Amino acid sequence: MSALNNPVVAVIVSLIISVGYFVFVDHYLMDMQGLDFWYLFRN
Amino acid sequence: MGLLAGKRVFSIMALCMMVSLLLLPIVVALPSLAIGEEAPAGDAAKKDGDKVEKGRDVYYKTEGIVVGAPAPKTVDGPRDYPRYNFESRVLLWFANQQHLYYGSFVLAVPIFCMIIEFMGVVTKDKALAKRYDQLAYDFIKISLTAYSLTAILGGILIFTFLTLYPAFFSYLSGIFRPVMHIYALMFVAESGTLYIYYYGWDKMKEGFLKWIHLSMSVILNIIGTLLMFLANSWIGFMMSPAGVDEQGRYLGNIWHVIHTALWNPLNLHRILGNMAFGGGVVAAYAAYKFLASKTEEDRAHYDWMGYIAMALGVAFLIPLPFAGYWLMREVYAYRQQMGITLMGGLLAWLFIIQATMIGILFLSTNYYLWQAMGRMRGAEKYQRYIKYLVFILACGYMVFITPHTMVMTPAELKAMGGQQHPVLGNYGVMSAKNGGINVIITTTVLSFVWYMRGNKVSTVSWAKFGNIFMGIFFACAYFNIIFLAVYGYYIPANVRVGLSVPQVATTLSCLFFMFALNSVMMKGAKQLGPIEWGKISARSQYALIMLATAFTWMMGLMGYIRSSVRLFWHVNEIMRDNSPWAYTHTVGFAANMISFNVLFFWITILFVFWLGSLGAKKVPVESKAGIPGGVPQPAASH
Repeated sequence: MSALNNPVVAVIVSLIISVGYFVFVDHYLMDMQGLDFWYLFRN
Repeated sequence: MGLLAGKRVFSIMALCMMVSLLLLPIVVALPSLAIGEEAPAGDAAKKDGDKVEKGRDVYYKTEGIVVGAPAPKTVDGPRDYPRYNFESRVLLWFANQQHLYYGSFVLAVPIFCMIIEFMGVVTKDKALAKRYDQLAYDFIKISLTAYSLTAILGGILIFTFLTLYPAFFSYLSGIFRPVMHIYALMFVAESGTLYIYYYGWDKMKEGFLKWIHLSMSVILNIIGTLLMFLANSWIGFMMSPAGVDEQGRYLGNIWHVIHTALWNPLNLHRILGNMAFGGGVVAAYAAYKFLASKTEEDRAHYDWMGYIAMALGVAFLIPLPFAGYWLMREVYAYRQQMGITLMGGLLAWLFIIQATMIGILFLSTNYYLWQAMGRMRGAEKYQRYIKYLVFILACGYMVFITPHTMVMTPAELKAMGGQQHPVLGNYGVMSAKNGGINVIITTTVLSFVWYMRGNKVSTVSWAKFGNIFMGIFFACAYFNIIFLAVYGYYIPANVRVGLSVPQVATTLSCLFFMFALNSVMMKGAKQLGPIEWGKISARSQYALIMLATAFTWMMGLMGYIRSSVRLFWHVNEIMRDNSPWAYTHTVGFAANMISFNVLFFWITILFVFWLGSLGAKKVPVESKAGIPGGVPQPAASH
């Protein structure tokens, strides 16, 4: 737990969790509607 | 002991009576269903050996036996549209709007009472519990006078319908005949429950009896909500009729008539709207009392009351735009043309005004929270960041209110190079607006989080990580909302329309996760100082009044938009409005009419507040005695 209180570690861990979570939300919720979130990148 | 047992028996009897009152309408309705009263025409036809006429439901597409008369084909004249020397629609508009304002208020306030009374019952701090109890009592006292006025306005509304629109009212009441008496009986049940709940307050203030009293508030709210659902089914039927054939003949299934395409979205939207509106009105009442207070104690009490009412109101205001999205989505799904008329056609400018009002609501809320931070020591650390929140809110707001197209003279059109401004025109589309409103709501959540931790320092071992995580989560949320808004410009419309869902989910993630995380972090936190209730700027109280007024105006506006979307139909595509007023008013006329309704409501509600203050019950002395420095104890807890 003390390692997490290191600002650099905390920023990296927070970024990984937050970015991962929002990418998951975007992809999953679009997929649930039958839509492709990655449409632009695939075309 | 005997007295206590007697009270318990009385309380249980009162509770049973209320449950019976609640069930009474259903019991009364059962015999008519059992003997098949709903299908007299069908039965008569069978008896006579005639061929049973069948019709197809316009919405559910099911077949049913025709049991009602077709919708009347009205003509402009004294038979169908008797009138005074005045526009009948305006008179009806006024009666309807006033009834709705008061109806919303008296449905919302008992829900607040229930929540606050429950908080009082479960709170271990006795002084705080008494304060909550007194607050809930103050709330219900206000609503009691308003309740009588609601009933009177309901009567006026029915007489207005009967006098000015007899043909339409006769048709509508004919369609809803199986549930009309249920509505009336529910109203009786609501009144009975409310009076027992109010007058039984002092007799059932402790122990088991208090729980019985609390149960009564639950029953009261169930009845109130069912009443509202029934009333919503009428407007749902007028907008998106079901349970009738193309001629408007009732097909014998009352559930189809009630459960129309827009009924559930309307129910959700109205519950949330009523709660936010009720919170706003009570907050404005508290603000007025705060400004008029002469003692520190009164100021402290009304400051606290205003905060609680505002917090409850805003808690329901935050999900309100999402309920609105759902309603609009269902409108589009039901009739695309109706959605286009609303959002991109005749009524689109009213939505720009609506966006402006929504923005004002959130700006007022944020402003109040920033001002409220002034009453706690330790919150100064956030003051220097508020300017950045103002900037973010202003950007979101400006995008949110940018119109798609402008009404312009030919010269202006030429100067701008087209209907759309080359730069600002880009912000007039839904993709940008969704981004704008989500940024505004996320910022409001952030302001709330700051307020909740204003005078506290977290003592958990992972506090540093928690703070960094919260900051990064919010930053990523902002990035995701804006990214999705921009991304929408580069993908086709059929894919773009789905982006609003992850945008909303992002905002709600901030709301739920960050509130939860903050609560965990602030458990057992070190307090830098108490919240000094009453020591808040007068400006903050004007923000509360602004919040309530803006909400009242917006309710009037949205009601007008919802009703106007039927255009020249009494019942959409079933019964045509052939009165001389079957046209859409200009935006200016509608705005003046809404303003008049708002003004009238606030003048009359001030009268209600004044009436309530005549029989003011003073706060019990012992509850004040335990408060150091006359400042209420809820200071430590928000």
